Amino acid sequence: MIAVWMLTWKELIRKKVTLMTLLLTILFWIAFYFIAQSAGASVSQYDSGIISLDNLLDRFRGSAILLWIGFFFASFATGFLAIFSSVAAITGEAEHGVLQSVFARPIKRTHWYMGRWFGFVTFCLAYALILFVSILIIVTYATGVHPDWSAIGPALALFISPVLLMVTLTMLASCWLAPLGNGVAMVLLFGMGWLGTMLDRVIAAGMFTANESTKTSDTMEVVSGLIRLLIPTDALQQRMLSELYQVKHLGQTFSSRDALGYFSIVNPPSDAFLYYTAVYFLIFLIAGLFVIRRKDF
Amino acid sequence: MSYAIETFNLTKNYGNGRGCHDVTLRILAGEAFGFLGPNGAGKSTIVKMLIGLTTPTDGKALLFGQPAGSVEARRRIGYLPELFRYPGWLSGEEAMQFHAQLCGMKGTEMKRRINQLLDEVGIGKRGRDRIKGYSKGMQQRLGLACALLTDPDIVFLDEPASALDPVGRYEVRELLQRLRKEGKTIFLNSHLLEDVEQLCDHVALLNNGRILADGRVSDVLRASASRWRFRVGGMTPELLDWLRETMIIPVDIVPWEDGDTPAWGEHWLEAELAEDEQAGYFNRLLMEQGLALYETQKVKSSLDEWFLQAVSGLEHRGENR
Repeated sequence: MIAVWMLTWKELIRKKVTLMTLLLTILFWIAFYFIAQSAGASVSQYDSGIISLDNLLDRFRGSAILLWIGFFFASFATGFLAIFSSVAAITGEAEHGVLQSVFARPIKRTHWYMGRWFGFVTFCLAYALILFVSILIIVTYATGVHPDWSAIGPALALFISPVLLMVTLTMLASCWLAPLGNGVAMVLLFGMGWLGTMLDRVIAAGMFTANESTKTSDTMEVVSGLIRLLIPTDALQQRMLSELYQVKHLGQTFSSRDALGYFSIVNPPSDAFLYYTAVYFLIFLIAGLFVIRRKDF
Repeated sequence: MSYAIETFNLTKNYGNGRGCHDVTLRILAGEAFGFLGPNGAGKSTIVKMLIGLTTPTDGKALLFGQPAGSVEARRRIGYLPELFRYPGWLSGEEAMQFHAQLCGMKGTEMKRRINQLLDEVGIGKRGRDRIKGYSKGMQQRLGLACALLTDPDIVFLDEPASALDPVGRYEVRELLQRLRKEGKTIFLNSHLLEDVEQLCDHVALLNNGRILADGRVSDVLRASASRWRFRVGGMTPELLDWLRETMIIPVDIVPWEDGDTPAWGEHWLEAELAEDEQAGYFNRLLMEQGLALYETQKVKSSLDEWFLQAVSGLEHRGENR
């Protein structure tokens, strides 16, 4: 399993996946740093030396919006990296006859599958960790406001969990779908997660609150809920942001919905949803192991 | 004598009429076995079931008494798949190291074996280059080296010489001959019947997923008697009748192919001779009758003929069906 894991890293490095990802990430860092710095400067120019609650809330609001923007990029960067690194894991290799020669070796197919899974997941997690830390550093440095340190651990766990889900789903789907079809399917599925949050945002904005629109609002809520159940990735992102935005010391004085507008956190999922996601993940991981054991090549 | 490979009514039904049905084979340990059949006959399906890549719908297969596909059985095999392509971003050495690690090899023993095999298949120092720069022939050689990594008891080779030039084919044939002498069991899927004829002790012919014929190569070749051809000038129907009566064997005129422009009375005669020595006698008879003898040749590759005779007239689900 370790040999397969190491080979997966070698593949991701040699195929220039790492290089291209890092280059684009550096571009993002540069752009994000300048945005964060100018936002930080505009907040601090009203600072007269005495930190009032309003000033503190302004700074916090600026920081929260910057985090939202940063993690929006980070969410699709890690999601797409998870999808496209593992998109050809099974059928792609079987098409080239590589898998046939590997499975003729005295190893269990499930070990090979887990080796690949660990390879993709650890690679994407390393990248996700770098992004997570870098975004926090840039925002803290630029605005002078740091998130609640006690929330960092849970937030990081929530931030990386979509990587686990997307690698698991993409590897399972690649047991049947060719790389191109799998890539398209997984991107659409991942994008559907965003759609669910978008629907929640529309509902939260009160655009369908009139009596005649109640039905529309209800339907959208059901659809959004179903989408979240189908692909929980963006819901986890919302929960992650909600963890980061929660500053206990501010109590009720800060409402993300009122203060952040479009960048507010909508409908962050409950703990029960997190348990659902854990079961969802385990089911698809076990399904992958089950399928690979029985698949004909 | 123990069997290296045994199949009992091995069946794979893909649900579209393809696959194979009730295939029963017994291949002795140390035997070189040639598996023949038209395209789409189901040869690769059977090999995949023996390797453990595909699960049989019915029946079973054993490799040295172990169920085919089990880890124990796979420990004793080497496999060269058809139409494979190792990842281009690896070097030949790295690809072999990966396979060696999967087989539990490590350290200096692994390195020594890899270098030895790379030299044997003619890749040598180019094993350090990335595979994306390899020709098809080099990739095939690398595949062969990978198949032999663990010094396996059974080697499954699916079209091992298909991408090789004549020198490469010769070298592979030599390598396989050496493996055979070392007592390895060789399972060879090949359309190059000349190679099969030179290497194999035992052949089976598969058509539409069913075994049509199965036997020792020497028996197959003996059954299809030695045939000779003679290009002569001045042949007449009377002389042909005389030859048939004198030799007491079938002598036929081979039809000219389209585009050939024979001289008057020029013909190819074909005769089935019990022994090669009769060819000299036949030559003498022809010349004594005043015929011009331009050329004499033995009809080569009897396995070719046997194969064609066996499948001719039969329906087979080739790729153009």
